[in-house]
Amino acid sequence: MSNSIIVCRCEEVTVENLEDAYHTGAITSRQIKMKTRATMGACQGRVCRNLVDLWMGNKNPLASKGVEQLSYRPPVRPITFGELAGEE
Amino acid sequence: MGNETADVVVIGGGIIGMATSYYLSKLGLDVVVVEKGEIAGGTSSKCDGNILAIDKEPGFDSQMSLKSQELVTELVKELDEEFEYRAPGSILVCENEEEMVAANAWVEHQKQAGLPFRMLDRNDIKSEWKYMADDIYGGLECATDSTVNPVLFTYALAVTAKRLGVRLKTHTTVTKIRLDANGAVEGVETSSGLIYTKQVVNAAGVWSKHIGQMVGIEVPIEPRKGHILVSSRTKSIGTRKVMEFSYLMSKFGKERKVDEETEKYGVALVFEPTASQNFLIGSSREFVGFQTQINVDVIRCIARRAIRFFPVMKDIPILRSYCGLRPWTPDHLPIVSRVEEVPGFYIAAGHEGDGISLAAITGKVMSELITDQKTTITTDPLRYDRFQKTEV
Repeated sequence: MSNSIIVCRCEEVTVENLEDAYHTGAITSRQIKMKTRATMGACQGRVCRNLVDLWMGNKNPLASKGVEQLSYRPPVRPITFGELAGEE
Repeated sequence: MGNETADVVVIGGGIIGMATSYYLSKLGLDVVVVEKGEIAGGTSSKCDGNILAIDKEPGFDSQMSLKSQELVTELVKELDEEFEYRAPGSILVCENEEEMVAANAWVEHQKQAGLPFRMLDRNDIKSEWKYMADDIYGGLECATDSTVNPVLFTYALAVTAKRLGVRLKTHTTVTKIRLDANGAVEGVETSSGLIYTKQVVNAAGVWSKHIGQMVGIEVPIEPRKGHILVSSRTKSIGTRKVMEFSYLMSKFGKERKVDEETEKYGVALVFEPTASQNFLIGSSREFVGFQTQINVDVIRCIARRAIRFFPVMKDIPILRSYCGLRPWTPDHLPIVSRVEEVPGFYIAAGHEGDGISLAAITGKVMSELITDQKTTITTDPLRYDRFQKTEV
């Protein structure tokens, strides 16, 4: 796999970024997320979440057995502060 | 499941446990951390990242924060990894004349305590904050306030502590704390075996009451829930932290002039720009046990409050919301203390929303208490037995 492949487009995280984070001790999907911001962008992880989990699973088959699954957080799709506040 | 030994067992792998372990390992002690989940898996990753003096009561509280700020500048150089540290100062803004009067008194007290505070008038606010609502009266500034990424800060402490020999046992639960015939700590039983030790630090945050019960003491710490919203990446609204002055009222449980819902959920504006070009918006404070579901009514209320101060946010997208539990104590100060009735048992918990702010000073002081050194700051106001005294 080429190291320059972009895994998370919103936050522009490459395979190389994941590798670097892994080698400095981020050994679960959640730690990888916290270190690289992969899955934390505007698509809310829809595009890259599975890729990150898959990559992590290949790297460390035990990682997915841990409790640190990536989380889903509301709102499901981005809305504006105004919409949430109920203003026009 | 072999037995092992340690000089100190730290219960809890959040920011307080990691800071304590780091400072202990620097002194050459053999430390084991027992964490039921992951490093920074609880409150330390469900918060924002500030090292603030601006929201601390003038005197001991603000001095403790100032000391913590100094220690964090050292940690920036000492730790193996960076954690998005920057020190742009922070401000509080006032909605009315009454708040300005109270703010002025606050600034005077803080200045007397030696902290770099000053008042800001309407023009100061206008010239720095292009997008702030027009009717803001003014505010105040604390020049030394700094900000970090709380998760990366915790990770950096953990990685460095590990290099210094600390053993991190994640996904490991404490099942029992063994006491000897004299009632002193003898060991910690965990889901992966027994650790013989004469010293235990309860750094379990919102779960520290449960750990305390294992040695027969009642730690007066309750979970207080807080929500935070994350914006999408956007044009810069501002480059440093802003809170509304009445955040202090909310924090210290005093009366505010706000609508019923804002009061009920303890909602007060907190704006924090991050290193990732988005911003965080808080805050809320509620006692609802260990329940951590997002409450839409609360985040709606927070969004309304944000728009009141920054009308421009109306059209900015929210990416996500999260909430966490803050370890509350009755007098808003943490417990950083020995427990006299259980020799070898220590508590470092109860920081509510100040855990990131006070982690460095807490870890430093805890390492000094355990090794019987003179502490960097006086610890009398942080003693565990202060609550027993007031009840008598």
